[in-house]
Amino acid sequence: MAEPPLLRLEGITKTYGPITAVCEVNADIRRGELVSFVGPSGCGKTTLLRVVGGFARPDAGRVALDEEDITSLPPNQRATAMVFQNYALFPHLTVAENVGYGLTIRRRPAAEIARRVEELLSLVQLQGFGRRRPAQLSGGQQQRVALARSLSLQPKVLLLDEPLSNLDANLRIQMRTEITRLQRDLNQTIVFVTHDQEEAMSISDRIMVMDRGRILQAGTPAEIYERPGSRFVARFVGAANFLDGTLGNGTSGRASIATRLGTLIVEKVANGWMAGDRVAVLLRPEAIRLGPPEDRAEPNRLLGTITHAMYTGAVIRYTVQVGGIPLTVDLSDPRHTPAFRRGDRVSLQLPSDPHLLPRESVVDPGGGASSP
Amino acid sequence: MATTLGIERPAARPQATGQAVARLLPAALALLLVAWLALFIAYPALAVLVRSVSTRAGGFTLAHYYAFFAKAYFLRSLLNTLILGGTVTGLCLALGFALAYLVSRGPRVLRLPLRVLTLAPLIAPPYLFGLALIILAGRRGVLAQLLDVQIPLYGWLGVILSQVLSLLPVAFLMIENVLASLDPAMEDSACDLGADEAALLKTIILPLASPGLLKAGLLTFGLSIADFGNPALLGGGLSFLAPDAYLMVTGEWNMEMASVLSVVLLVPTLGIFLAQHYWLKGKTYTTVGGHATATELRGIGGGLLTVCLAPSLAFGVLVLASYGVIALGAVTKLVGIDNTPTLLHLASTAGLAAIQTSLQVSLAAGLVAAIAGTGLAYLCVRTETRWSGLLELTTLIGFALPGTVMGIGYILAFNRPPLFLTGTLAILILNMIARFLAVGLEASVGKLYQIDVSIEEASADLGAGLLTTFRRITLPLMSSAFAAGFLFTFMQSMISLSAAIFLVAPGNLLASVYIFNRARDGDMGIACATSCFLILSLATCLGALALLARRTGNRIFAAHA
Repeated sequence: MAEPPLLRLEGITKTYGPITAVCEVNADIRRGELVSFVGPSGCGKTTLLRVVGGFARPDAGRVALDEEDITSLPPNQRATAMVFQNYALFPHLTVAENVGYGLTIRRRPAAEIARRVEELLSLVQLQGFGRRRPAQLSGGQQQRVALARSLSLQPKVLLLDEPLSNLDANLRIQMRTEITRLQRDLNQTIVFVTHDQEEAMSISDRIMVMDRGRILQAGTPAEIYERPGSRFVARFVGAANFLDGTLGNGTSGRASIATRLGTLIVEKVANGWMAGDRVAVLLRPEAIRLGPPEDRAEPNRLLGTITHAMYTGAVIRYTVQVGGIPLTVDLSDPRHTPAFRRGDRVSLQLPSDPHLLPRESVVDPGGGASSP
Repeated sequence: MATTLGIERPAARPQATGQAVARLLPAALALLLVAWLALFIAYPALAVLVRSVSTRAGGFTLAHYYAFFAKAYFLRSLLNTLILGGTVTGLCLALGFALAYLVSRGPRVLRLPLRVLTLAPLIAPPYLFGLALIILAGRRGVLAQLLDVQIPLYGWLGVILSQVLSLLPVAFLMIENVLASLDPAMEDSACDLGADEAALLKTIILPLASPGLLKAGLLTFGLSIADFGNPALLGGGLSFLAPDAYLMVTGEWNMEMASVLSVVLLVPTLGIFLAQHYWLKGKTYTTVGGHATATELRGIGGGLLTVCLAPSLAFGVLVLASYGVIALGAVTKLVGIDNTPTLLHLASTAGLAAIQTSLQVSLAAGLVAAIAGTGLAYLCVRTETRWSGLLELTTLIGFALPGTVMGIGYILAFNRPPLFLTGTLAILILNMIARFLAVGLEASVGKLYQIDVSIEEASADLGAGLLTTFRRITLPLMSSAFAAGFLFTFMQSMISLSAAIFLVAPGNLLASVYIFNRARDGDMGIACATSCFLILSLATCLGALALLARRTGNRIFAAHA
């Protein structure tokens, strides 16, 4: 990486009394990147964002923006701008006054402010709304005003704290597009905080999955989804089955894994695994193929019984009992593939290139496969 | 539907009599409360109004009003009262805001001490600071004796100073509440956009707090013009409406003119009350109070801190000096003049007897007011009586009316059969209840709106009758409102003067009246000693209640604040 990161977090630790909200977090964020901190509530993601914005002072660690230490600068002296979860629009000011607030504080000429506000409002597609009060706007419109306001000072980093959580489902998806458009058009660096993994996956260049104050894994959405580093991450970003096994011998990258459901043949094993390693095989629900029961034995083919079926429109999610272990399996495009019923016998074709995780016996003492 | 079904269902069970009682009891209770409010709030208030337009023979006349407006003395009195109210309100708002701002956003070490100091005047009679100022800076006061400094205390300076000292806690509490209800994200957001503390104050905090400030201002104004003790002690040559009305009654037994003065005093008070109740209702920017604490890196600094802190500290010093001089006054022959230590004042038994009477009256009034307030609130909110609006309004008017007016009203209303109550303890208790019932009522109403109806419906749905539901579900949930009602009525009854002074009889002097009379007669030692006992007994009661609250997990003080 030739260019230094725009935002660098080094060993950030933040405690509130006995609670450690953020623990020795390191992260680099590049210019123009949209990075999400994602994790369950209480994982420290919002605290981390508040540290970046200057609203919380870390107990240890350093925040650098453009290679300048800003750790102890108050928010009004940082080139960051925050969009708050509840938007925090000023109820006594008009939309235009809200958007122009930062410029007014900086005593820019009135004409310049008016022009900038117009620009910003059209950027978020709210031309002509300048004279209204925040209370007269819908949730989505308020959200756009908050965005426009935070962009008014051309921040180096835009901080978004669960910005979409107060919107209804359709609007949320629309605003995702809007935010990525802003990121692209303005080459705006954005740090996004959400507990919604799907939201994070759909808009981020990179995701940092957090739990209990630490970043567990950072990577592109595909990396995180396909090659999670732990069961927690795997489960957090989507449904997952885990099949515990022991890696056997193999040749030219091919290997066998002995599991409770029989031997799984894996075409390619990533570097670093050795024969005899205890592994957990990650099987995503969509990676398992369902079919009518067949007697012909094939590698990685199992037989099972459907015990649950849940129709969600895009897919039918089945729970299939295989040798006493429930597996979650998705069947996509249910209209064009024959659906199964509860009690049906089915065959399951497991993938030959699954992702392997180290077995964490402490986390899952029962062994065997498990579903989220 | 679920409600109706749930409530009707037990009727099918054999406990038919219980059901009849459960249905009749609220009605009977309602009737009792309505009669009570009519008799002890509406009737005395109307008696004042009627007397002000009656001839001695009982006919209608406006002559008393002509007399009032024709006399320069009375007009001057009116003008003085309004000027006093305006000045004190302005000062209390500015100082109250500075203090609330420091307490909520200032340096952490200062927060608790400042808050305690600001609230300290709450446990003293409102005129205590008048008394303290006289001892400190009166003609023969401590400053005059020790430093040979003469301060023109009697007149505007003294009245304004003593009123600010006694009324500031009220303004402070309201403003503190307003500042606490502002969403910290607002300030964070403004700060994020580059605002420094001064800009934040000017562009965000003050505008957002302004409706709340207006309310606090109106309340302070109302309390100031209704205040009797401080102007009476320190007014000097200046005349004010409330003391004038008192003089009309005690000096000339001119009930007609006293009534006219009351009505004149009542007009702005009632106007303020109606403005609060209708015009300002809901006009607050109560911004969502989500999670999140305010910015840690922000801080009031430099000039702003000085501007807020200097007057606050001056206020704090005055409060401490006042309490100190009262304590000293209790154990010296005559503070400043003859500083010989003595226990004579403390040994005076008349004061202790008065405190005992005060405790009796206040405990009774507090208990009844809390019970009635809770019941009334339930009646107003849950059983949709057509009269509930009127009931609430009447109660609030009882609270809003100046004590002087309620005192004169009670004399007019209960000085003859069928209800000849003057001179009894009962009239004092009834008067206190009528005047302070509203606080318990409002606290309960607020609580009831918070308690989801579905909780009660769930109970009813499970087969509980109306009474059982009230007793088992609603009452426990409302205990903090009950406590608030009790505490407020109790404390106010212990220290309030303006109505009681009309109603006490020689045999049943209240402590607040006794102290005032001693102070007016220049008997400072006894006044100080009795004040100390009064403050101590109040502090003891408060401490006991706080302990009880901690034991039972009941948040009395949260509700009270």
